[in-house]
Amino acid sequence: MTTTPLHAPPGQASASGIPAPTGVVRQPPPITDAGYLASLKKVTQYYVVTAFLALFIGVLIGPLQALNYGGINVYDIPIVKALLKSYYQGLSLHGVLNALVFTQFFISGWLLYLPVRDLGARINMRFAWFTYVLMTAGLLLAAVPLLTNRATLLYTFYPPMQGDALFYIGAAIMVGSSLLVVGQIVLMWWNWKRANPGKVTPLVTFMSVAVWMMWFVASLGIVTEVVALLIPWSLGLVGGVDPLLSKTLFWWTGHAIVYFWVLPAYISWYAFIPRHAGGRTVSEPLTRLVFVLFLLNSTPVGIHHQYADPNISNLWKTVHMFLTFMIAVPSLLTAFSVTASLEDAARARGGRGLVGWVTRLPWGNAIFSAQVLAMISFILGGAGGVVNASSSFSPVVHNTAWIPGHFHITVGTATTLSFMGIALWLIPHLTGKRLPSMRVASWAVWTWFVGMMVFALGMHWQGLYGVSRRAQVSAAAPDVYRDLPIAIPTMLTAISGVILLISALLYFSVLFRMLLSPRVENGEQTPIPYSEAISPAGEKLAAAHPLVRLTEPLMALWVLALALVLLMYGPVLARMVANMQLVPGWRLY
Amino acid sequence: MTSRRPVPRLEHHTLERLENIWLGVAIVMNVLLFTSAIASFVSGTYPSLRGEGGHHITGVQNGRIDPKNIAATPFAKPGLRENPDGTLEAFVVAKAFAFEPTVLRVPAGRPVTFHVTSLDVLHGYQVEGTNINATAIPGQVASFTTTFRRPGTLSTICNEYCGIGHHNMVTRVIVETPQQ
Ligand code: HEM
Ligand SMILES: [Cu+2]
Ligand SMILES: [Cu+2]
Repeated sequence: MTTTPLHAPPGQASASGIPAPTGVVRQPPPITDAGYLASLKKVTQYYVVTAFLALFIGVLIGPLQALNYGGINVYDIPIVKALLKSYYQGLSLHGVLNALVFTQFFISGWLLYLPVRDLGARINMRFAWFTYVLMTAGLLLAAVPLLTNRATLLYTFYPPMQGDALFYIGAAIMVGSSLLVVGQIVLMWWNWKRANPGKVTPLVTFMSVAVWMMWFVASLGIVTEVVALLIPWSLGLVGGVDPLLSKTLFWWTGHAIVYFWVLPAYISWYAFIPRHAGGRTVSEPLTRLVFVLFLLNSTPVGIHHQYADPNISNLWKTVHMFLTFMIAVPSLLTAFSVTASLEDAARARGGRGLVGWVTRLPWGNAIFSAQVLAMISFILGGAGGVVNASSSFSPVVHNTAWIPGHFHITVGTATTLSFMGIALWLIPHLTGKRLPSMRVASWAVWTWFVGMMVFALGMHWQGLYGVSRRAQVSAAAPDVYRDLPIAIPTMLTAISGVILLISALLYFSVLFRMLLSPRVENGEQTPIPYSEAISPAGEKLAAAHPLVRLTEPLMALWVLALALVLLMYGPVLARMVANMQLVPGWRLY
Repeated sequence: MTSRRPVPRLEHHTLERLENIWLGVAIVMNVLLFTSAIASFVSGTYPSLRGEGGHHITGVQNGRIDPKNIAATPFAKPGLRENPDGTLEAFVVAKAFAFEPTVLRVPAGRPVTFHVTSLDVLHGYQVEGTNINATAIPGQVASFTTTFRRPGTLSTICNEYCGIGHHNMVTRVIVETPQQ
């Protein structure tokens, strides 16, 4: 039996691009305390706007780097020189602002707001504001050495290259405050569980809590590295640092962090995108399984970043490699599920044929197209990721331009473009302001996608010839790079920098116009775009699908995740600690 | 835009079946990937990194070396050396912003065991056109064995950010026809 067909295409999208639902949609409990709601929205808005300000600065540096890979050195131009002491300072700012600051602030706001609204819960707003202020204070502290060229360490800040203690302290405060969000949300969810025994956690809350739990397990590595090793070392309290131990702790967090970046976009892909398109979420039980697999599997795999490092046994490298391949499974399930929900939407709008339905999707709606283009990009990025993860292919591409090629179509597009799309409804929802121009937003989104595809092509291609990443190749004295047959790929990279600059200017013009425009309506008129589900989880746990019952005990699964990561890292770290090798710090920038 | 016969929508049972098939495909792909990677380990197409550097290196324990005491190790004289048992070892030292030896000459067709270390920060040792790719870490030694098949000149590029001169940190490996 099929569910009833939907005749009319969903009503004309409102200015916010969110059509009215066609079937039964879960209505989260309303929040009636207007003052509380306003404060909650405001703190979320602060997080989101801070995030985009960081992205704005970070992205303006990107094209300079892209031109560098095209052989054009703009770092000697006086204005650039006045602002950035070197290519590497620019690159440090680019990496830190885009990959660490933008993501962390956006996610902290987004995954604070969603579960609280989803449960209609009351949280302590003073604490929520305190967390925001603390995180921002950390950012500002770390910004001082970054801007004064005293922390030109790139976003991976590998010791023994040394930066100002202020950089490490600021970074620790920034990351540490995200753990306060974790605490607040997990506690809120736990209180809800106790007040609602026997009930299934609503999907959006479930996904958010699982992501926060994963991030907690993931962040332990970097927190240990910075607090126990780097801060005492940079303050001169200890004589040296063990570079390999530090790097291993870094990648404990550093790989899982990419899932912390992309899973908040998945939440939107699963729960909200179908509604934008006029379709339904495919299966709630499956969605829960996917998030649990990520909770368990995204952390204990970081050693695949260290295949080129000595003194980690091949056995552990292989174990981590296999676990890395396993993360492809929940990603592939997502590809299936989300595509099915799009097909459902397109058929409801009269789409036909094996692939013909694709044309019926609302490609002109930037909220939708941003996120679906992000998914397409992620499919390509994921395929490249399997190459990176494989210890036999990795040496060919490790630390070449291939790598930035790869992560600009994962975090730089799958995540960033999704967040860019989400902001187009989230900001109206939070502020009651209106998106000034869907057309310009749409141009921005499509050019970002095209620009990143060209970028990725150019970078992957030249990477295969061995062009190094993080290198000011346009200023290199030896002629190795001129001997390589890389004219076409480097040109593609340079062109993509220009396309992306235009795209960024279009996007930020829309975003800033929106933020600076007056409030015109009650934000609640742009609803959170909950979708209907084809296979819902139901409300009662006892009657739910086995997968729902299996995944509901998130607390126990959290403990399991922690145990798994200790199991996979314990022996590796123990051997390093037993053979600790301290070396002095250097400042070569 | 004429006939608007209702299009049947997706429903739970078909989807569940397709999902399961898809999951099966994903798992099979995984197992294949894993098997092929293991196969490359076993067949030795991948120069797997060790730390110890065999019994030939003095001053290296558990793959660690005291960077202040390089003089007491073979890294004091970087370059290729032939051991009494006929094996070849190459000692490479990375430091800002050059490699030593600046040009490494190796014979084609004979296995060479490389040992790479750094005197200051992290560097990368990547030989262009091969799958030689190791991190040079101060206080540690990366060792691997490889055989260059064809004579020629290969660029060696530092691929780990090491400071303001990173992009200039390039040398060469010259693979020579063995004279016998
Ligand atoms: C206008 C768009 C952008 C352009 C043209 C651009 C360009 C580049 C280029 C050419 C590099 C390589 C530099 C090198 O290895 O020497 C790079 C590095 C990087 N980019 Fe972007 N990028 C853009 C946007 C983004 C976004 C949106 C993100 C993440 C959210 C991002 C994150 C990074 C990171 C983490 C690095 C690595 C920095 C490092 O190696 O330390 N970029 N970018
Ligand atoms: Cu170097
Ligand atoms: Cu370097």
